[in-house]
Amino acid sequence: MLLNLPRASTFAGDIDGLVVLVTWLVGAWFVATQLMFFWLMWRFRARDGVKSQYITGKEPHLKKWINIPHTLILLCDIVIIVAAVRVWVKVKQTLPPADDTIRVVGQQCTWAFQQSGTDGTLDTADDVWTSDTLHVAEGKTYHFLLESKDVLHSFFVPVFRLKQDAIPGRTITGWFKANRAGSYDILCAEICGIGHGIMGGRIVVDTPEQHAAWMQKHSVVADAGATTTDSTAATGAKN
Amino acid sequence: MSRKALFLLFAASYAALLLAGCAQTPGPGLARGEQVFDTCFPCHGKNGLGNETLGAPAIAGLPRWYLERQLNNFKTSMRGADPHDMEGARMRPMARSLYRDGDIASVAEYVATLPGRVPAATMVMGDTAAGRMRYQSICVTCHQDDGNGNEALGAPPLTHQHDWYMMSQIAKFKSGMRGAHPDDVMGAQMAAMASTLEDSTAMHDVIAFIRTLQK
Repeated sequence: MLLNLPRASTFAGDIDGLVVLVTWLVGAWFVATQLMFFWLMWRFRARDGVKSQYITGKEPHLKKWINIPHTLILLCDIVIIVAAVRVWVKVKQTLPPADDTIRVVGQQCTWAFQQSGTDGTLDTADDVWTSDTLHVAEGKTYHFLLESKDVLHSFFVPVFRLKQDAIPGRTITGWFKANRAGSYDILCAEICGIGHGIMGGRIVVDTPEQHAAWMQKHSVVADAGATTTDSTAATGAKN
Repeated sequence: MSRKALFLLFAASYAALLLAGCAQTPGPGLARGEQVFDTCFPCHGKNGLGNETLGAPAIAGLPRWYLERQLNNFKTSMRGADPHDMEGARMRPMARSLYRDGDIASVAEYVATLPGRVPAATMVMGDTAAGRMRYQSICVTCHQDDGNGNEALGAPPLTHQHDWYMMSQIAKFKSGMRGAHPDDVMGAQMAAMASTLEDSTAMHDVIAFIRTLQK
């Protein structure tokens, strides 16, 4: 495999497939053009007693060296565009039915997350707010509502192959479905100020049982109106 | 110039550039603190006088022990971890970036050398007479008669702090955005005191009185 990087979402393989396709096509043309370039330099190198020729390139037997590769590259472009549009429609244009909805809020220099609590409904009293750390369940489809409180940010989860800009004043909806348990990086991919480089977080993909237990614990605390902490974050209901 | 001399000149220049990038980081102390302060001044200003637009308080004039405690509170998420605390959300990662041993102590030592300045008033509301009564009954034990604070009780001086910042912090203590972490003993004390200021009039009054202490 060309990209031997961990993947943890259902569409990560589609993104990787697209990157691999572009890499192979561009790589093949790069190698072909370099070989031809060096062959031409060798074939038409300076020789004693041979005068260089002036050619216009208009003759059919010369023009075919341009026209044939040009046509083939256009065909490759069409292949890339078709593949890219298919992935774009799947990842960005289609919203599969949600099992749960979360709110992701970017603010200098932290990610904050609002989850629906045990009642499964966002913006209710048992919602769980966390800073830096987002707990999600493996195999569940999440819709996220991405917002920014101040400047441009970009919600980036490399193992999900998910990157989406957050724009102040707008709520941008997206989705993901994690398919591999573990703890992974969240980054900001849009320079957002002096703290941009340290605006990191973690996304913890739990098994459904672990996630239910985590949610039960924190949603109850939130319901009581108190504030608590898990390993890296504070949680509490603030409505 | 001969080719050999040109080569030597080029090699020497390249070596000088490489060595310039290998400057030694000073050990803990004032010099290191001044270096680390580069992280602070974009928000707090080069003289540490604060910036209302960014919600950054004046840190000049604060004592080293208080600066160290607050930096450690931010670093350990005892402060600034509430998802609704925008200013705290900005400050907490900054404190966490001070990962080198001694950096917090060094920058606190440096900031403590910055002279405080009496800030301009930004709020016109508040009854100083009513504020005096409240200050004398609620705040004076820890922050002292003159507002200079008390290290033994962990209370910072208020004499160089902006009124808008004090207002925002009292509101945060009252709402549980600050001082609610179970390990934040000092914060819990202040949260209890802030809760006795029942409304914004009471908060404005006490701040109006604190401004009279700023000379």
